Amino acid sequence: MNDKGAILPAEDGVEAALVGWLKETLNKKIFDALLIPVEVPAGDSFAYLLLKDPAILDDASPLPPVMPVQGGKAISRLTMRGSGSKRVAAVVRPCEARAAIELTKLKQAHLDNLWLITMDCPGVLPLSDYLEDPAAGATCFAEASLEGDRGPMRPNCQVCNRFSILQAPASDLHIGTLESADGTVLIVPGSPKGERVLEDMDMPLDAALDGWAKRVGEIEKAQTEQRRRAHAELREETAGPDRLLDVFSSCINCHNCQRVCPVCYCRQCYFESAALKLPPENYLTRAERKGALRFSPDTLLFHIGRATHMILSCVACGACEDACPMDIPVGQVFSLLADRAQETLGYVAGESLEDPLPLVAYEMDELHQVEQPYVEIYCKQEVQDA
Amino acid sequence: MSDEREFEPRIIYFLCSWCGSGGSETAAAHHLHYPENVMPSRVNCTGALPAVHIVRPLIEGADGVVISGCHPGDCHYNDGNFRARRRVALVKSLLDTLGLEPERVWFRYVAHGEGQRFVDTATEFNDHIKKLGPNPLKTRRDT
Amino acid sequence: MPEGLKVNGGTEETLRELLRSLLESGRVSGVLALGRTGDAEQSVACSLFTDPDAFGADGTACPLLPFMPANAGGVLSRLTLKGPLTEPIAAVVKPCEMRAFIELVKLNQCSLDNILLISSTCGGVYPLDTGVNGGLKKKLPGYWEAVKQGELDDDIRPTCLACTHFVPENADITVALLGEADLDVQCTLYLNTEKGAALVDGLEGLEGTPLSGELESEPIQRSHGQRKAFREELFAGVEVGLEGLIRTFGRCIGCHACKTMCPVCYCHLCYFDSSDCERSPEFYEGELARKGGLRVPPNTVFFQLGRLSHMSISCVGCGMCTDVCPADIPLSTLFSKVGASVQALFDYQPGKDVTEEIPLRTFDEEELVQVAT
Repeated sequence: MNDKGAILPAEDGVEAALVGWLKETLNKKIFDALLIPVEVPAGDSFAYLLLKDPAILDDASPLPPVMPVQGGKAISRLTMRGSGSKRVAAVVRPCEARAAIELTKLKQAHLDNLWLITMDCPGVLPLSDYLEDPAAGATCFAEASLEGDRGPMRPNCQVCNRFSILQAPASDLHIGTLESADGTVLIVPGSPKGERVLEDMDMPLDAALDGWAKRVGEIEKAQTEQRRRAHAELREETAGPDRLLDVFSSCINCHNCQRVCPVCYCRQCYFESAALKLPPENYLTRAERKGALRFSPDTLLFHIGRATHMILSCVACGACEDACPMDIPVGQVFSLLADRAQETLGYVAGESLEDPLPLVAYEMDELHQVEQPYVEIYCKQEVQDA
Repeated sequence: MSDEREFEPRIIYFLCSWCGSGGSETAAAHHLHYPENVMPSRVNCTGALPAVHIVRPLIEGADGVVISGCHPGDCHYNDGNFRARRRVALVKSLLDTLGLEPERVWFRYVAHGEGQRFVDTATEFNDHIKKLGPNPLKTRRDT
Repeated sequence: MPEGLKVNGGTEETLRELLRSLLESGRVSGVLALGRTGDAEQSVACSLFTDPDAFGADGTACPLLPFMPANAGGVLSRLTLKGPLTEPIAAVVKPCEMRAFIELVKLNQCSLDNILLISSTCGGVYPLDTGVNGGLKKKLPGYWEAVKQGELDDDIRPTCLACTHFVPENADITVALLGEADLDVQCTLYLNTEKGAALVDGLEGLEGTPLSGELESEPIQRSHGQRKAFREELFAGVEVGLEGLIRTFGRCIGCHACKTMCPVCYCHLCYFDSSDCERSPEFYEGELARKGGLRVPPNTVFFQLGRLSHMSISCVGCGMCTDVCPADIPLSTLFSKVGASVQALFDYQPGKDVTEEIPLRTFDEEELVQVAT
């Protein structure tokens, strides 16, 4: 990341400035198209639109109050089969950019002709809260963002410490909206690709980042501490078979969490495949052994199993929890699992395209703590006790 | 004490087709015995064992899962055992965070000629699981 | 006129005792019914019970709870997807769940062998939200009072209020609920088939007086009329036309939960998840050139229309789709409405008759002349 940024005047507010700037990039053919959230016709939500017509940007919102579709997933659908010849800029939140990076490593997206543009993110409202009254939701979001109040946001957003570019430099251009004094915002390039855009827009990199970086650092520190505490509390509340199964006691196996997860990309999920479709004898035997078998079965297996598949790429965005019809704190549980699993393997999801996926890479000399030591010939307990 | 004698653990022992199984065959050749309730399950390479297949038996009826493959550097497929080690680390991390007794999963290398080591692992793990007791997940009706 | 049994004792208690006895006597190897999985109100799931005590006073089974975490017809079909049951099990299902199951039998997704269907005259279920928001327990006394009068609580699923198929047609045993004023002290069971009658014949703890009664009592006929009227009103309020659909599905997030929870949508890999619907860069660039803008992921309305064209002929109007939608889209109303019109076109009632082929899988040479011009 550079130590200097470019200044974007923003007298009429950050959103207006950004939208204006994006229009210019289209007009100047710096980008051929944008992928950006746009308000839907009914005015009750936002959807990612791939657009080349600058007029559509009048309804666009670079930082909408909700995240109905995770931007990483949208980027993946767009570029799954290849980059194409058009230069596209995707205006997304940091967790969405990180998901896009993971998906690229997983060969589900191609970022060659795509620029990731992120901004300091105040969080998003839970979708169901917003849908109750979209107008009120928009106001609540605007106020909370201004005050830096994460209270109304998704539980995962409340403890997010990767809302900017310092801890997780994932994007080509980052809009530093925090501490934007005197009616300007900073545009910070995160890659040579990003630098070239600012060059082509005649925006010199002459603004110091110290003030902004200091402010971001302070908030990141506070958020990290909050995250640590929240995760410790959550672990207390969910650890062990009784508490864990209580958390998932209302799960109806809709698999929404898997469907909306940007990183879960399998066309046919293992847990919906033939591997888990068994003859009636299997179910009856299991039901007989236990006295009853929850049906459809394998609820807990789905969640833990899904974690074994994707937790190392989990960006803790919380899209899963938003989509759960039974209000299960699945996003919070997964963000706890993700932090711990990623830490064990020395990996941070979505930080850099250069970091190899942790289940593909390995060191010869690592993780000895999972190897069961063998010291001497073992005597059976009975022999020992005799 | 009497409970321990009554409880016969159900244990799955994943063995790779090369060193792991070889260890069991060497044990057989030397007439070494291991507990009957330890069920060997052969995989081509420990690196080919999906992480979900370590979790699945633990939810549905196994009291413990052991995985044995070639020592580092000896894997028939070069690095399968290194990947297995990462997967085991992942599964143990998940089980630990969820409070589901990661100690019910063991990962130990067993070479082709290490018959005694194979038998010792099976026996030691069996005793270890007997002490831990039955897996609380397997009687749950709400999994 | 079906034979029946009038048993002294509250309906819920009697049913539980019946199921408990079936398990204990070994007449069935398992019972599929709703059971509590936790203390929270919404922690309810279908379960395959083999332990008789689950139906005892302290047991976790709650077979008549007006709550549908999953359509039990779809759940039941999972049990025999890979082959028929070789041991008998009883399944307590609501009429729409049973109809879904019958449709799935026709679609070769499951088998009726060795399954005994126990259903009831249904007073509807509450939306999942009611449980999630902690309001279910409070509603239950009022719910049952209404059912006794043959009435429906306004707060049940809209598709339930509009359901005219609330009298089960293929059950081996029907538990009379709707319009039964003495629900708390008497249990009326209609034994519709030989299988059903044999199941309870001489069963310990189930002594009752035989009855020859009409299932379609006056309260039930009244309910038919009320529901039909509400149905027409409900369907009339659905926003249609391209603009209407775009407005309705604007906030669709493409999670396809509606498809996952639909009992009739059985495809292992949905067309809309297949590689057919994965678009190349050329597609996106083409759309961009043509329209100036394109929603990503695409196919939002296409998915809904496609799903309608695939399954509306078999839609039983259970309402799972609306309940599970994270964007609060009133899907079940639209799907029921379209389903009803498609079914009327072929004079077809899904789930009514297992021998009646689904209209899209058969044809008559002389029919639908008006379609071809």
